[in-house]
Amino acid sequence: MDSVAGADLLREVEAFLIHEARLMDEHRYDDWMALWEDELLYWVPCNEDEIDPSRHVSLIYDGRESLTQRVWRLKGKQAHAQRPKSRLLRVVSNVVVERVTGDEIEVSSAFVLGDVRNAVQTVYFGRTAHTLTRRDGVLRMKRKKVMLLNNDAPLGNLTFLL
Amino acid sequence: MIEDLPRTDGANASQLQALVRPGRVHGDVYTKPEIFELELEKIFHASWLYIGHESEVPAPGDFVLRTMGRQPVILVRGKDGIVRVLMNRCRHRGALVCEVERGREQHFRCWYHGWTYDNTGRLTHVPEPGGYPSDFPYEEYGLSQPPCVDAYRGFVFASLRGGVKPLREHIGLAAKMIDLMIDASPIGEIALDMGCNKTAYNGNWKLVGMDGYHPNYLHVSVIIARAKREAAAAGNKADAEFMNAVSWSDASESVTRDLGNGHSMLDLLPHRMSTVDAYLAELRELDGGAEYIEAMLRAYGPERGKVLLAMAGDPHVGLFPNVQLINNHVRIITPIAVDKTEIMMFPVRLAGVSDAINDHRLRKHESFYGPSAAGSPDDAEIFERTQRGLQARVDPWIDLSRGMHREYVDADGSIVGKITDEVPQRAQMKRWLELMSAPA
Repeated sequence: MDSVAGADLLREVEAFLIHEARLMDEHRYDDWMALWEDELLYWVPCNEDEIDPSRHVSLIYDGRESLTQRVWRLKGKQAHAQRPKSRLLRVVSNVVVERVTGDEIEVSSAFVLGDVRNAVQTVYFGRTAHTLTRRDGVLRMKRKKVMLLNNDAPLGNLTFLL
Repeated sequence: MIEDLPRTDGANASQLQALVRPGRVHGDVYTKPEIFELELEKIFHASWLYIGHESEVPAPGDFVLRTMGRQPVILVRGKDGIVRVLMNRCRHRGALVCEVERGREQHFRCWYHGWTYDNTGRLTHVPEPGGYPSDFPYEEYGLSQPPCVDAYRGFVFASLRGGVKPLREHIGLAAKMIDLMIDASPIGEIALDMGCNKTAYNGNWKLVGMDGYHPNYLHVSVIIARAKREAAAAGNKADAEFMNAVSWSDASESVTRDLGNGHSMLDLLPHRMSTVDAYLAELRELDGGAEYIEAMLRAYGPERGKVLLAMAGDPHVGLFPNVQLINNHVRIITPIAVDKTEIMMFPVRLAGVSDAINDHRLRKHESFYGPSAAGSPDDAEIFERTQRGLQARVDPWIDLSRGMHREYVDADGSIVGKITDEVPQRAQMKRWLELMSAPA
């Protein structure tokens, strides 16, 4: 058995990831921001999955301050690469609770993400590692690492949430 | 040679000249596949191109794959320590001899029939040698090399055509700008060993230029965000919906420069000097920041040291046709098709400074550059809108005349305009026409 979690926790985590996926697909930035803990890391490595972010460039390496900036910009009307907005649909699956340590729940999952913009459809694949925690009985994201399958290839417009 | 046959339905010098007039360029230059094919032949396969930096291949056997136009090459440091550019093509039947993007190898082997070359390019093994006469000249069957390869301070260039002018002459005035990037290190050493952003956009390669007119519009979201941050730090509230940064307006003392040979830059020194104190304060807050400032002033003297600190390793220069040194990265532009371009951006690590400084510079890079950042995607978006817009043919010319009436020649021979002027675009097209209409 892959998962260390009982069926209830796994179901709760899956529901959380599906909810997060919908918020990202629908560009509901404020609702998505509300899923995060105060101290956060939103990380999308570049070129390969296992890099030292202080010695290797990342596509995204956001703490709260830079993520707040990112979301503020995307909500405005002058983030041209999202005018028109990407139409997004992602399928989240292969959810495994890898570890539960204290109040941290480490979860791995996979996604297929379709992006339609200017009538062109682009498909992305990737794995995500979430570190979740519970506050006031509700799951929140502390850390999220998104490993795009093609992070070593020339990439187009990836300005939406991953 | 097939290579020398004209591929362009009779395009010749006068036809090309008709497409590039003073202050305007015909849309065909960005949209016609025939023009693109001629660009590969006349520019990318016939003049100096930037290949990579020696720090990408620090140890013997280290290699990275690159392309020169459409031609695959390997940038490799041989077991003799010499950095070479080798054509990635087996001398036997033409397959690639190296199929992974980077690594370290003693040998490159063609897995078709097993011909094997060492990392200096020498042919070292041919299976079943009895199939060739005993006097077969194996030594002449090493991996081919471009006829011209040279480097300036670690920046390796190559030309697939021989007889081009020496590299130092080609780089010309831009050499001092490359120095600005390298000498942001107190020991005059940089390393491009922090990976690279790779992006692609559906637009012509020439659209990636040096442009000081666009930031206040295209990057207004970033400019407003910065203004808000600065206002908040000063205790004010910035609430303007639209805000012009003076540094990107005609009120700026910064200038555009045509450095000759198609090279051009946004010379931001005046602006950077006016804000150097704030930048030094930012540095001092980092671990090793004060030591860095100290080391720079000691290494280069108070005057030059201050200039180098103010520039922060950002010469904002483009060398025609395929490399730009912008902010904290080196950018390679690779033309794929008339309407498709790939960009690689290599963040620069400064040698002789604290990890905290390089970390800070890397985070700044990521905030603006790359496919998920606040800057590059909007640039790519406008290049794609341009490519689509250029399909409208009622008035097919684009206008590059901005500032023609006020440009002047500086003491060093560079042509100077206001920061918003199209001096760099004219510099690019001048060199473009020169190479495109050169005799075969």
